[in-house]
Amino acid sequence: MAQHEVEISISKTGDVRVHVKGAKGKACTAYAKWLAEIVGKVKDQQLTSEYYEPEGRTKIDLQQDLKVDDEAS
Amino acid sequence: MGAVLILAPVIVGSWPAIAAAAVGAASALGLAVGQAARRAVREEVEQAEQNVEVEMSNSEVLAEQLATDQTMILTKGTVKITVGRDARGHCKVCASGTGHTKAELEQMARQFTEKLTQCFIYDRVIKELKSKSFQVVNEEVMQDESIRIHVRRWVD
Repeated sequence: MAQHEVEISISKTGDVRVHVKGAKGKACTAYAKWLAEIVGKVKDQQLTSEYYEPEGRTKIDLQQDLKVDDEAS
Repeated sequence: MGAVLILAPVIVGSWPAIAAAAVGAASALGLAVGQAARRAVREEVEQAEQNVEVEMSNSEVLAEQLATDQTMILTKGTVKITVGRDARGHCKVCASGTGHTKAELEQMARQFTEKLTQCFIYDRVIKELKSKSFQVVNEEVMQDESIRIHVRRWVD
């Protein structure tokens, strides 16, 4: 089992800063896309070193039409 | 590590969802929630009363959810803040009252729209996170009035 963590900060004006931790590659992208859809528009995005690390056998299923299976790597 | 995103909020929701956020914002800012009625908004404005409108361009009230006479009136002292939907479907906040300058009323209206936005986004984010089995590890309101939420999820 893998642990995915998200730190979310909602400023007093409603701007949102999201930090996805523990998810790599496509899984990380899936979280980012999902959260962007919930909140609104992406103003800035930075991929950190973890994003580029080899993906494990993590599978996330956030929505029925959004499936990320890292086993393909 | 992973990814860091900065997101600009867009408020698209049904009137009940926006009204709930408006009540949360009113509570945070010490405003009393009154009964809503469009005819009340149309009351003749006294000459000494100032009136300022702020449109939330990043918002959309889903029309099918909103009856034409639905507005919400919030009060604090002599100030009345009215939340409703304009003809283009945007959320509109109007501050009016006696004993305040237009600049003061505009500041109050903007402060309210910011708080409403924060409450709306908070409600939406928490609801979505919980629906995807995220557990809230920590949640706190910071000194700068931002809300920090830390969530965790285990995946196979």
